[in-house]
Amino acid sequence: MHVFLIRRLLTLVPVLVIVLVIVFSLVRLIPGDPAVTLLGPGATNAQIAALRAQLNLDEPVLLQFWHYIAGLTQGDMGVSLKTGRPVLQEILSRLPATLEIAFGAVIVAIVVGTPIGVYSAIRVNRLPDHVLRVLSLTGVSMPAFLLALLLQLVLGTWLGWLPVSGRISSYYFFDEITGFMLVDAWLSGEPGAVLSALSHLVLPVIVLSSFLAATLARFIRASMLETLGEDFVRTAKAKGLSRRQVIVGHALRNSLLPAITVVGLKFAEMLGGAILTETVFSWPGLGRFMFDAIQSRDYPVIQGATLIFALLFILTSLCVDLLYAALDPRMRRKMT
Amino acid sequence: MELTRRQFGRLTGAFLGTSALPLGMASMAHAQEAATLVVAVPSNPVGLEPANNKAEPVGSEIILNVFDTLVEWVPPTFDKVEGRVAESWTISDDGKTFAFKLRDGITFTDGTTLDAAAVKFSVERTIKLNPYVEASLGLIETIETPAPNEVVFTLKSAYPAFLAILAQPQSGIVSPTAVEQLGEGFADAPVGSGPFVIRNYTADTRVVLDANPDYFRGAPKLSRIMYRIIPEASTRRLELENGGIDMIQQASQLSAPATEEIAAFSQNPDIQILESASQIIRQLEFNNAATEGPYADPRVRLAIAHAIDYDGLLSGIFGGTAERVYGPLTSNSWAYNPKVEELAPTYDPEKAKTLLAEAGVSPEALNTTLYSFGGALWGAVATFVQANLADIGVKVTIEQPEFPAYRALQTAGQFNLALDGRQPWYNDPDAHITIGYLSSLADTAMTFRMPKDDALDALILAAQAEVDEAKRKALYFELQEKIVTRTPGAYLFSPKLIIFARANVKGLVVNSAPPLNEYWGVHKD
Amino acid sequence: MSELKLFLRHNHLALAGVIILGIMLLAVLVGPLLLKSPIQIDMAEKLMPPSATHPLGTDSFGRDMLARVLSGGRYTLSIGIVIVAIAFAIGVFFGILAGFCGGWIDTIIMRVVDAILSFPALVLAIALSAAIGPSLQNAMIAVAITMAPQFARVARSQALAVSTRLYVEAATALGLSRRRILLRYVLINSIGPLLVQASLNVGSAILQTSALGFLGLGAQPPMPEWGADVSANLAYARSSPWTALGPGVAILLTVLAFNLLGDALADWFNPRRRSQIQ
Repeated sequence: MHVFLIRRLLTLVPVLVIVLVIVFSLVRLIPGDPAVTLLGPGATNAQIAALRAQLNLDEPVLLQFWHYIAGLTQGDMGVSLKTGRPVLQEILSRLPATLEIAFGAVIVAIVVGTPIGVYSAIRVNRLPDHVLRVLSLTGVSMPAFLLALLLQLVLGTWLGWLPVSGRISSYYFFDEITGFMLVDAWLSGEPGAVLSALSHLVLPVIVLSSFLAATLARFIRASMLETLGEDFVRTAKAKGLSRRQVIVGHALRNSLLPAITVVGLKFAEMLGGAILTETVFSWPGLGRFMFDAIQSRDYPVIQGATLIFALLFILTSLCVDLLYAALDPRMRRKMT
Repeated sequence: MELTRRQFGRLTGAFLGTSALPLGMASMAHAQEAATLVVAVPSNPVGLEPANNKAEPVGSEIILNVFDTLVEWVPPTFDKVEGRVAESWTISDDGKTFAFKLRDGITFTDGTTLDAAAVKFSVERTIKLNPYVEASLGLIETIETPAPNEVVFTLKSAYPAFLAILAQPQSGIVSPTAVEQLGEGFADAPVGSGPFVIRNYTADTRVVLDANPDYFRGAPKLSRIMYRIIPEASTRRLELENGGIDMIQQASQLSAPATEEIAAFSQNPDIQILESASQIIRQLEFNNAATEGPYADPRVRLAIAHAIDYDGLLSGIFGGTAERVYGPLTSNSWAYNPKVEELAPTYDPEKAKTLLAEAGVSPEALNTTLYSFGGALWGAVATFVQANLADIGVKVTIEQPEFPAYRALQTAGQFNLALDGRQPWYNDPDAHITIGYLSSLADTAMTFRMPKDDALDALILAAQAEVDEAKRKALYFELQEKIVTRTPGAYLFSPKLIIFARANVKGLVVNSAPPLNEYWGVHKD
Repeated sequence: MSELKLFLRHNHLALAGVIILGIMLLAVLVGPLLLKSPIQIDMAEKLMPPSATHPLGTDSFGRDMLARVLSGGRYTLSIGIVIVAIAFAIGVFFGILAGFCGGWIDTIIMRVVDAILSFPALVLAIALSAAIGPSLQNAMIAVAITMAPQFARVARSQALAVSTRLYVEAATALGLSRRRILLRYVLINSIGPLLVQASLNVGSAILQTSALGFLGLGAQPPMPEWGADVSANLAYARSSPWTALGPGVAILLTVLAFNLLGDALADWFNPRRRSQIQ
């Protein structure tokens, strides 16, 4: 097991190096002078040159790359060109917001997608299956911004049930200790704060989870259908096990492993999709922060955020692989 | 039967009440609501104090409410200056020396006194730390403090617009004690003397300002201002209608036509629409420095100017949220010359075609690219202009490059037609005319790229330095007439400053240049 | 052919997908020829609700929404297919190479694939778009680059599986050239899952391009691309929802149709499922 882990980690090193090179060169490729963007249309060339000098933008590229790598080893990701604050601090302060909706979305996706997939597989080719299949198909075909718009209009304005932006009602103001609004609201002890935070989470989580839930439902359905036709299931039925035991204990269990891989892969994709959700709902997370940084050519922030996204993905796939290996004896044997 | 949001909210509240919510919550929220103003802004403030202020709307407005300047413009016409921190002042005859006498008894929120030394410290610090003020505050030669309540600025050359510069957010006065105590941390928790204090800034989320009860003009009626950063326009609108915010700051309405909001809000009794004129000018610009090509012919430029349906643009795209501009200055500027309204080209496509024929240029020869800033508003204007030009046989393709690329090609003169504009950040005709039309600035900033014309340049510089107000006005009158007759561009529109607010918000002061709000007198009924 | 008909008759959703796609293709190919111009401005008619003359209403410039959606459809369909074609070509090439050759070629290719896959697709596409400039072509290239690794992975695993089959061993023993084996044996037998992936990815390509368009990094005005149209008309969503809903729902239907097609292909290539249906 340890050998497997070490081997996995070793394969990560070249990946990380390539990631760093990609991030750095990509960012440097982005045309447009950050100083120009920061100062706007009314600026003169002299003002722009002064700002460039202040921000050290004139060093040769390789030197900048070297500085950057050296800084990374010490946990220093540089300083935002726009705000002057350390990049790592800026990113870490916004990461909890994104993680909050990402985790929420994963939980909702699993809780909603799994039963749909299972039920669809059990009632295959009959009406419930057709209905649920169309539903999950719609879920994977719906553009996120359309869903967000519809939900905002219907649930937000016309019905007035749910808030449409922000993490908590404007009138609450307390110290944020963890960065996770639910936790901080609870810690603050202000009445109604937790409820407010929860109500603000609903719409973004629904939008973010829809694609994953639908994908999961489709995947579990297909996987279950495969498994249900396998010999061992027939054996279980022949043995006289109850339907429930067969479905959950045998079929579902065997479909779970590949499902974990799917969730793991799609988690990273979902982090990317968070950009759209965060923009529409004014959710102050990392996705939106990175998009703003790209607009204003804030190189250190773009580099840092992309790197963090990549690291999160690598971490997630590592966890998925480990989980997979731990759960599937065949894989374990193959990998050690 | 339609359930109003209130009714539905009550029903939901009753339902949730069974889950043991304290009864006091409702009344507490109400009390907070009455004394807190929630303002929606589209982006983060870039700098919270004068030394790192750039010309951006959010940070600048916060600075205006947290710090005091020496002087400020008087609402509602903003054509006169009154003393804020300054009680009175004199200007020397040569226009180079400005001597201010300060009021007594003004304190910063950390308890220290605002005296001449603090003023000197602030201005010198801003000049040292802020590269953006090079052109404005950089004109100061020396600052002297002959007495604790007297400050004397000596400029390198005569510059009557200096008073306007002193009214800008960059000229805000900071507490020297706090700067020394906090060092780098001052940028995050700055200390001024204004009606509000910065309590908290959470990036991408909100800025919280608390009232300063010891403010020298009297405590503000609000106890808190909360800026909520909401980048999506549709979200801002939804929040205003739901009552989640009290006000949408005007900066948002300058980047996208607000016609739909106006249509929706004018029917809504809970929401008021506040309009005021701005000094922003947007135009279809020619590359005036070009000497070759069909566009270099003044008749061609005049023809293009006649081809634009100015009123159609205002009603079609802006639906009343913008005003007509005829020349280099807007009608609310104290130096505005009404004569430009006669001199400016009218919408006359037939005349356009005739002029082109006279110049011996066929419309096809004018097919080119129309460059513009990015975004929906500019895209809409560009599309409209494209259609107008198509009517006289000129086909243009629209390109909206990223801003740095656009600036690069504009300052290099690599265009024939471009949509451009200026939002003056201080209240003086100098802000539009010198920067826009001085030929020597052509390659160093986004200007009209006027060709070298010694007479015009001399006139511009003379008007900039003229101390006598009446003479100065006459010079600007002459300049406007001269510029308009040269048709450096087609002046398209000036967007109005439009603020959407809940009907119970009163007492707002909206400055025109820079277009920022002062919240000292605001209260909610 | 009759097998196909039988298959479709029993698989309702696949049939639905084929029909929707067929209608859509017909509409976008023929429609713009019959309708008004999608870029003709008519300010007097702006923001009209759906009616007989304007079945989907008009937008803020008075342009007919139906015409815009249908001519936008031409762009969108070709965008989706071109992107997948590019990603397919690049990804499958490297994937099969990696799976068949193994060794250090495999390692290098797969590390690069892993690295690219480490970035959330939209993030990479946004960064790439910003790097090479905001235009439709560049957005397409960006999405294709982020999509190629998926094909590479599938192609590689397929190649790995097929390479160990007896008939490939036999071919190698017979002395057939590597190239011939790759093309005639490995690729042909791997094609099933690859086609499924391709079909599903068309939908994804359309979603991503419209997301980029929505964020302002894709098509530029006055091109009637669906995502860009939704974004441009978002401001009018309250009073005139059809302006944003028209192109938005069009995206939904198109992607749905391709997903249905993909599902049908998956069933077709899976012998067990195929027999289950028939």
